[in-house]
Amino acid sequence: MRTGDYKQSYGELVTLIDSPPVWLWSTVLVLALVVAPYVLNAYALSFLTIILITVVGALGLNILTGYTGLISLGHVGFLLTGAYGYAVLVSKYQLPPLVGFLGAGLVPAAASLIVGAPSLRLKGLYLAITTLAFSFIINTVILEMRWLTNGARGIAVQRPEIFGVSFESDAAFTHLCLATAILTLFATLNIRRSRVGRAFVAIRDNDTAARVMGINLHAYKLLAFVTSAFITGIAGALYGIYLSFVNVEGFPFLLSIEALAILIVGGLGSALGAVLGTVLIVLLPEATRLVFSLFSAQMDAMFTTGAQELKSMLYGLVIILFLRFQPRGLVGVWHDLKRTWVNWPLRY
Amino acid sequence: MSALLTVENLSKRFGGLQAVADVSLSVTAGEICSVIGPNGAGKTTLFNMISGVLRPSGGRISFDGIDLATVSPWRFAAIGIGRTFQNLALFKHGTVVENILTGRHAHLRSTVLDAIIHFGRTRTEEIAARRHVERIIEFLEIEQIRDAVVGTLSYGQQKRVELARALACEPKLLLLDEMVSGMNQEETEDIARFVLDIRDELGITVLMIEHEMRIVMDISDRVHVLNFGRKIAEGTPAEIRNSPAVAEAYLGRQRADQAAGVSA
Repeated sequence: MRTGDYKQSYGELVTLIDSPPVWLWSTVLVLALVVAPYVLNAYALSFLTIILITVVGALGLNILTGYTGLISLGHVGFLLTGAYGYAVLVSKYQLPPLVGFLGAGLVPAAASLIVGAPSLRLKGLYLAITTLAFSFIINTVILEMRWLTNGARGIAVQRPEIFGVSFESDAAFTHLCLATAILTLFATLNIRRSRVGRAFVAIRDNDTAARVMGINLHAYKLLAFVTSAFITGIAGALYGIYLSFVNVEGFPFLLSIEALAILIVGGLGSALGAVLGTVLIVLLPEATRLVFSLFSAQMDAMFTTGAQELKSMLYGLVIILFLRFQPRGLVGVWHDLKRTWVNWPLRY
Repeated sequence: MSALLTVENLSKRFGGLQAVADVSLSVTAGEICSVIGPNGAGKTTLFNMISGVLRPSGGRISFDGIDLATVSPWRFAAIGIGRTFQNLALFKHGTVVENILTGRHAHLRSTVLDAIIHFGRTRTEEIAARRHVERIIEFLEIEQIRDAVVGTLSYGQQKRVELARALACEPKLLLLDEMVSGMNQEETEDIARFVLDIRDELGITVLMIEHEMRIVMDISDRVHVLNFGRKIAEGTPAEIRNSPAVAEAYLGRQRADQAAGVSA
């Protein structure tokens, strides 16, 4: 049983990870993920890539909905503008991919100012509906701006080459997604433990008290929108590259629901929760398919033909189950396990 | 000593209800002032206007030479007004330390980009903030609960955390809204001692709303009495104790006369 929690300087009190075992296991996990693309087959690798891209998007939504408590049903709009930002800059105007990624962040960030402005007055359900409307408007705008976006035909996107390193192969592209996911995770954790993150959480928990503490509610709500949209846009660009083709049909509304499901299943307001939730939600349809295919080939066929419908049903089901039985999400389960492990054989 | 806070002819109207009417008062730097009055007298509304939660319908508040009507509500913390709330307004999912750190907000500078990189300035700033928080924790004797999640603490402890959070703003004027309501004798005496220490050691002027008359009479330098939104009396605790208007507000005319008769 580990005991005590001794700090010798204030620097140690503000570090991100204060326990050597956590450092060790995180490093082991990262190394495993670096090696994974060479070990896994193409099918499993595609899941890993999707998980890494989705982690970025989920962390983006987590800043807005998890930390700041502003519910967004329109995050697919930011994914879409991010993907188009990248595709237009890189495929259409032949700019370097890094500029493309910057654009993939900045275009949704600018769009978020428009959808964020009403959020200064709206809360809860009303805000959710506003953001929902935003994602549909964005869809239409992209379809109509044919001179820039090719309308419904979409834009083909190549795998990028950055600083002479080609990310053409699946393994290399997975590494790019891994690096982005890790950077985003650190960015999110760093925001959370700083003045800005505390302001976000303060707005979520009690906005009157937040303002009395000197937090500018308007500025910080917009900042949450901008930061969240920027990160989500990067995820959108990666997803576009992964699909190798950006059009509105590649980004169905279901992605917004999936993102919310991830946060609820993982545990709202926790970066670790967003990661755990992503793994579960991305693998859930596949795991369900595997289980059912054990029973009959007919079931298997049903999953192939009605994949989207079954996905939305599954997401609905896990959201209900988690809200009913484990509202703190997977991160709550994780904390309970950790406590049991540390205190065993005592209860607490 | 000059007036730190001057309230002139302040009014607040909610539809047909005149919550605060034509109230004037001033608080001198270094004083402990109390605002008392029966329920619904407009005390909390007065506080809400002074702390920027509500905008006045009429009148003027000037603080430290600044007309508060010209200042955005979220800047009130930066110019030196801190407060606690009557019905706890803590960030209940956070730990005690996090709550108090949030109180440092107005004194920190890092932007979202600094925060992401979290190196150099932000790190120095965070360490300094953490050190400051530790001093407040020690001052209010809440070392035992510093890592506890606020939602799990008792009412008295949460009140103390709220006081700590307000102190982290380093206010010049601290507004305490019914700090000791619902506290037992021992907790009440602790708070009275802290309020005196806050004034004497930290040099913070205190304006408090209080129903608990013992603490009002024991530690206030001046007492202001509100009834139905109007100020009916002002003076030292001794003067207020003997004021017929105050006795009438609390007890009604007949009882007040009887009480006066008994004491005479």
